[in-house]
Amino acid sequence: MEFLNDIMLWIAALLPDFKSWGIELSTVAMFATLLILLLTGMPLAFVTLLVALIFALGWFGPNAVPLITSRIFTFVNSFVFVSVPMFVLMAGILDRSGIARDLFDAMRLFGGKLRGGVAIQTLFVAVILAAMSGIIGGEVVLLGMMALPQMLRLGYDRKLAIGVCCAGGALGTMIPPSIVLIIYGLTANVSIGDLFTASFVPGFMLASFYVAYVLIRSYSNPALAPVADYSDVDRAEVVRLLKGLFLPLLVVSFVLGSIYGGIASVTEASAVGVLGVTLSTVIRREFSWSMLFAASRQTLSTVGMIVWIGLGATALVGVFSLMGGIRFVEELITGISDNRVIVLLFMMFILFILGMFLDWVGIALLTLPIFVPIIITLGYDPIWFGVLFCMNMQVSFLSPPFGPAAFYLKSVAPADISLGEIFAGLLPFIGLQILAVAMLILFPWIAIH
Amino acid sequence: MDIDNNQTAEHRTEAIIPEAGLLGKVIGASSHLFSMGILASAAILIIEVFLRYVFNAPTLWGHETVVFLTASSFIFGGLLVAARDAHIRVVLIYDFISGPSKKWLNVMISALCALATFFFTLSTWVAVQRALFNPQGEFRIETSGTAFDAPYPGILRGFLFFILLVLTAQFVVLTINYIRSRGHD
Repeated sequence: MEFLNDIMLWIAALLPDFKSWGIELSTVAMFATLLILLLTGMPLAFVTLLVALIFALGWFGPNAVPLITSRIFTFVNSFVFVSVPMFVLMAGILDRSGIARDLFDAMRLFGGKLRGGVAIQTLFVAVILAAMSGIIGGEVVLLGMMALPQMLRLGYDRKLAIGVCCAGGALGTMIPPSIVLIIYGLTANVSIGDLFTASFVPGFMLASFYVAYVLIRSYSNPALAPVADYSDVDRAEVVRLLKGLFLPLLVVSFVLGSIYGGIASVTEASAVGVLGVTLSTVIRREFSWSMLFAASRQTLSTVGMIVWIGLGATALVGVFSLMGGIRFVEELITGISDNRVIVLLFMMFILFILGMFLDWVGIALLTLPIFVPIIITLGYDPIWFGVLFCMNMQVSFLSPPFGPAAFYLKSVAPADISLGEIFAGLLPFIGLQILAVAMLILFPWIAIH
Repeated sequence: MDIDNNQTAEHRTEAIIPEAGLLGKVIGASSHLFSMGILASAAILIIEVFLRYVFNAPTLWGHETVVFLTASSFIFGGLLVAARDAHIRVVLIYDFISGPSKKWLNVMISALCALATFFFTLSTWVAVQRALFNPQGEFRIETSGTAFDAPYPGILRGFLFFILLVLTAQFVVLTINYIRSRGHD
């Protein structure tokens, strides 16, 4: 197998000697290559892999390459990472059951008589779904199928209705359990349990901003949100509706209770969640093996995407770090100002811009290895920054031109709702998310842990 | 563009694209095995939770086996998503291109992906050699070195190497089929 090494030597000879270029020029060359390849539409995972290998060979030669692959094994082989497929599987089963629909029906007891009641009801459902699941795609779609038609039928303002479904669905990654926080914890090497605890209050804060916004808008302009007629609800109906709440709340208390209570690890709690949701489908007589297999095949694809972006990003960050690039970028970022708040705001700005174009997994794995050490050097709490990062990614789900939540809603919304109208409906909610980011920066104690 | 899969996007991402060829079909069929692996991991974790918290008797093999099963499905997942052409990409410009330019863009992207995975296959080879052979060149698989001492790390390194080879082949097949396509997409 000597010829394999020969091929690598041969390829290395074709590449420029990046070391002689110096780290400044090489960093620019690396970012330029990344950007150009990304813009062609080449998948992110393979762009980062290719750039990592080009620079490993060009800067160090073939001998450094195995160092990268050893980093990749550490990445794949982590026990905490097992919780990612478990939470995705849980969401997959949840989306295929009628649990969310019954939950939505039950929640009308809470929103019923208020102006804007269905929007409030939708947000309550979103919060409970978010506490059961850690991803956003399924939630936005579920709310788009259940809540959006009802609000439109009642004559709600279309933009308000759209915004509530997307912003509510995106809460899935803000309220624990959250895949964004799990990936943050793995990258930043901090306790995921602490992250979940710290994001609890900020998550509810954001949800309550949404509720307050809906109430203020609907009471100041009653035309936006007519009152629904729920006069037919009698006592027997109330009991029937409340039954819809029982199973979801049981699952939530099992999963979050075991994490917060310090009883089980995050990974174990995620498996308990899978069991909880599966048993719920059995009790509801919705269970079938084909449903379970479909959910697990979907999980396989989803984690395949996440992990391969992770492989590429790990390789790239590894090479860049060995080149001394991380130190260079750190000096660059911290050199902007002596005031640490300005450095922090600059990082938030970078995340915000990246969020318009890139997926959160890519953003997390590419920027956090650089940002987290800076945050610690500046004397900030990395747990608090994790919550701040997660809040920032909430914006990335909604912000045009590539807010994933908008595309999910578009896939289930009536045909006459255009992508432009969806993004217009999202703007006030993006404003509320930025307000929440600002609150977290001004009052760090909100993220208590 | 986003990793959070859902019901409606499912029919799009669940299908192997025709350009993936016969190899793509084989990959699609193998996906059932690895999705079982995910379910098996969930089952083992649940059993482990009961043994640990109810009977206070956790297994020696539980954690390691779960990590091994999920790590294998992570690695395979990337291959499956490639055959489905569902890896996340930035479509800012891509979506505006059509006709013959789109065809050649697809050819270029698949060829570059093949190059990336080929590079990466070569670079894992060294790690695989160390994991599967001793310095004298005799077969000796790397084990986890725990009380259970399973050969998982060795198998996993070999498996990554194998999947990378297949992934490279898949991208070569995609490149060839895009060249042969008429490019009316």
